[in-house]
Amino acid sequence: MTAMVPSILPPLLLIGPLAVAVFLLTLPWFRESLPETLASDQDSVALLERIHLGSIAYVFLLSAAALVQVLSNGAIAAFGDWLFVDALGAVFMMLIGVVGLLTGLYSIAYIRHDLESGAIDAGKVRVYYGFFSLFLFTMLLAVTANNIIMMWAAIEATTLGSAFLVGLYGQKSSLEAAWKYVVICTVGVAFGLYGTVLVFSNAADVLADPHQAVLWTALVGHAGELDPMLVKLAFVFALIGFGTKAGIFPMHAWLPDAHSEAPSPVSGLLSGVLLKCALLIVIRFYVITVGTVGVGFPQTLLLTLGLLSVGVSSLLFFVQQDLKRKLAYSSIENVGLIVVALGIGGPLGIAAALLHAINHSVTKALFFCTAGNVLMKYGTRDLRAVKGVLRAAPATGLLMMACALALAGFPPFNIFVSEFMVFMAGLNEGYAWIMALVALFLCITIAGLVKIVADSVLGKSPETMAKGDVGWKALAPLGVLAVLVLTLGFAVPQPLSNLVQQATAVVMNGDSRPVVATPWQHYDTVRAGGLLVTGNLSQTEISK
Amino acid sequence: MNGFLIVNGLSGLLIVSSLLVTLAGNPANSARFYALQSFILVMLFVALAGATGSGELYLWSFTALLTKVILVPAIMYRTFRRLSDPAIGSGAVMPTALSIVGAAVAVILCFGVASKVTLPAADAIKPALAVSLALFFIGLGCIVAQRNILKQVFGYCLMENGSHLTLALLAPNAPELVEIGIATDAIFAVVVMAALGSRIFDTLHTLDARQLTSLKG
Repeated sequence: MTAMVPSILPPLLLIGPLAVAVFLLTLPWFRESLPETLASDQDSVALLERIHLGSIAYVFLLSAAALVQVLSNGAIAAFGDWLFVDALGAVFMMLIGVVGLLTGLYSIAYIRHDLESGAIDAGKVRVYYGFFSLFLFTMLLAVTANNIIMMWAAIEATTLGSAFLVGLYGQKSSLEAAWKYVVICTVGVAFGLYGTVLVFSNAADVLADPHQAVLWTALVGHAGELDPMLVKLAFVFALIGFGTKAGIFPMHAWLPDAHSEAPSPVSGLLSGVLLKCALLIVIRFYVITVGTVGVGFPQTLLLTLGLLSVGVSSLLFFVQQDLKRKLAYSSIENVGLIVVALGIGGPLGIAAALLHAINHSVTKALFFCTAGNVLMKYGTRDLRAVKGVLRAAPATGLLMMACALALAGFPPFNIFVSEFMVFMAGLNEGYAWIMALVALFLCITIAGLVKIVADSVLGKSPETMAKGDVGWKALAPLGVLAVLVLTLGFAVPQPLSNLVQQATAVVMNGDSRPVVATPWQHYDTVRAGGLLVTGNLSQTEISK
Repeated sequence: MNGFLIVNGLSGLLIVSSLLVTLAGNPANSARFYALQSFILVMLFVALAGATGSGELYLWSFTALLTKVILVPAIMYRTFRRLSDPAIGSGAVMPTALSIVGAAVAVILCFGVASKVTLPAADAIKPALAVSLALFFIGLGCIVAQRNILKQVFGYCLMENGSHLTLALLAPNAPELVEIGIATDAIFAVVVMAALGSRIFDTLHTLDARQLTSLKG
């Protein structure tokens, strides 16, 4: 492991959203000073919005700065290496920055609508923005933690930070969803704690300094010396624990409830970012396990759970009538696909998993927010009642159609690129049967998505429905997400492809550099990529 | 090796106290038994600190005394005392005898697993190690086999005590900050669960997990 460059950025990144959250959630003055007249009520909400905007912009800018530093100097660290950002963590930090910013911007219009429709009061607006920043902070802590106990604590904290967002509306169904979310995830993550404790205790025995045994970077360096039986046990515990949080079948029970009951921007954040942060921790444990017992054991587990997730969720996706529950099942399916790609392994499999995590993150955040527009317009998530969105709200309808096609894996949208890479990796590693099954399950999802386009987006809008879209404040952030979805489908930009390559090298614990590109980008290189996977050559060898 | 004998002996009491927490008639009593169990855990940490000569463990015992014996049970007792749902009784979904048999089976299975651990640190404390793992699964059982949502919170507390004990047994020299991290997280988890549980009771007037079934499919 190369030395990490000391940097002030990781702690700076964390402190901003934490300060905003503490400020908004603990200061009673705000609650008491909330005025009773509508005019000044709006003033206080406007003030809350400005603080919130400051927080999300801060996270975006600081994560961008940290990303640039990681790309140019390698991994950065702070606080005696307890906090660090390597290329792998940077992928997920970038998702928090970008998706956090865009769902945060979308929140302004969405929460205003909820306030005006009486779904929440001004006090809840403060709670919402406070917990939004807290949620961002806990996710950032999870991706910047090098201390494995802190990783666990941060994942646990993401549950506690977002539970009140899930139960924001305080209705029977949202409280039920929040309760299930907290109990299932806390219990699941307790398994993660046990796995973490097993790895740590094992390493504390092997390494001279117990303070080193808690650092992931030190554990990876000494993985070969750990007890194979304990590490296998720890991986199973970690996979169950953090897999619960990532929404892997059969630990996914909380996910459809929480995603459907949360306010739509939060659904986007849960599905787009939180699931991926939990996956990052699974990947970190995967790296240690591979170092101790080789790839066979963890890959078999990942392939099995991934395939089951894809299979079960595609069927449940198809039969759902609630738009947001449908999207939640699609998230389980895509997480399953990422897990399958990790299980396939090899440089291309790992790179495909990471690229799919990025692509799914932006696409699903866009789809959940678009579902939020539908909810604002139609007042329901029931697809039997949502008809003719394109006529009733043209921009939202267009976005919804783009989302559905993107999620179905049609080119030129981004999901196609990473799904193509997953299949290429699978076939190259000799998993033809598994890939055939995955393809079959994806066809079921495509049918479900086409049905959304045919019935809900096209169709005939209700007679009573007034024409006209939601405001520009709700559409602009979605426009940016849509541009990302489309751009990443045309070409993987060089810095992103660099980042994914470096992150893959972290996971492979070596310097393998797979080709990360669309099939039509550098056609020759991709053909060479085929060679690369079969022969496990490095990029330099190819260029020779 | 007397110190380790005390450690192993005290760990047996943990199983008894975890059954008391699980089988108590109402959540407020569970909170009392949980405080008792945590007190036994603290005694165990002290005995272990003496046996291994670990300075860190004395610190752990102190933080555990503050958080698990005093703070968490007090929060739960105060919150849960005013919430009662007579309709669900003790909330247990299976007979008491079956719960005890279940716990016994868990302990036996965990002894089997612990005997396979080859770590040198684990040699003298294998019974306690088995108990720590069993405690984790008894906690899981308490959540699965409970209709009362407040008593499910105790299930999590037992799981957490189990992990904590495993950590102390296998890595007695772990940095104090690690332990504080775990303890703080557990406090927040309990506070959030207690707050949500109270809101559910205030809104829906029930503590029965079986009433929380409007979301399906």
